Amino acid sequence: MIRKEAIKIASEAVVDSPIISANGYISRDLFETDDKDTNFYMIGSMGLSSSIALGVALKNPRKRVYVFDGDGNILMNLGSLTTIGKLKPKNLIHLVFDNQSHESTGGQPSNTRNIDIYKIAKSSNYKAFKTSSKVSLKKILRKIKNIDGPIMILIKITKGGKPSKRIIHSPITIKKRFSQKMYRQR
Amino acid sequence: MKEASQRQMFDLLVHKGIENFIGVPDSTMKYFISQGLKKKKILITTREDEAIGIAVGMSLSKHNSLVFMQNAGFANSISTITSLVQLYEFPIIFLIGWRGYLKSDAPEHYKIGRIQPELIKLIGLDSKIVTESNWKECCKWAVNKINHSIPCTLILRREFHD
Repeated sequence: MIRKEAIKIASEAVVDSPIISANGYISRDLFETDDKDTNFYMIGSMGLSSSIALGVALKNPRKRVYVFDGDGNILMNLGSLTTIGKLKPKNLIHLVFDNQSHESTGGQPSNTRNIDIYKIAKSSNYKAFKTSSKVSLKKILRKIKNIDGPIMILIKITKGGKPSKRIIHSPITIKKRFSQKMYRQR
Repeated sequence: MKEASQRQMFDLLVHKGIENFIGVPDSTMKYFISQGLKKKKILITTREDEAIGIAVGMSLSKHNSLVFMQNAGFANSISTITSLVQLYEFPIIFLIGWRGYLKSDAPEHYKIGRIQPELIKLIGLDSKIVTESNWKECCKWAVNKINHSIPCTLILRREFHD
């Protein structure tokens, strides 16, 4: 399963819940496969998507808030797992698309070749799942709808596929449409 | 700034609608943080940029935040401020402790303390230095800024040694 396939499956399962997506190819894939107002594309500030999602989750306890994170991204902000694990937001679902590399910058290796994020998540009070197949990813996404967070799904993916196009919305537009949607749905 | 003023400053910001106080502690503002802990309104993070990320998430849900840090953490956060806060125009108040303000401060603070005013100016962050006599106006100024969707920073000088 390549990243774009995994992102399409996950985004369809999320329906209209908010998604905070990491910079680089993750946001680009999400934009290309399923652009919607409830997607917040973080185009810079690598590492911070889970922190932004935590802020959204704490202020919207009745919504399920999803993070579409990457291995390179979460490795830059591992402390975030401890803050989330301390606060235990029931409505936070953290998906990590792990291709063990920095694919957006040319496929250089990341540390998840040797270190298991799943174990780190577990010891940070997450309920953690791990998968590398489309069938089991779909199953887990269904299953977690009835489970309290924080939840992590570590999705092992393979590199490859054509790079998705860049996001055409301006940052201000991304912010405004997401924010209005949050407000209206409250 | 004295203990009483720091505590009153915290209360005033809450009164003016700041709901969340997120950051990494700095001794320059320890009474401000202590007041927030007493009121159960403080969220301590592992890094300063993480705090900014959380504040951004809260801002997306239309809740106002202040992010506090030492100037060492400000230096760590510059890319987050330029590529997240300023790029998307998130109205966040920063409170930065100015280590190295006194030339006799510990050596690790000297350089950042010296370049801090220019650094803040260079990245285009509106700022005010908070003192014992102007803290009320400073709070009013900062809240007014974010009500107009402009991020800004308040600076607290470290004027003592421990």
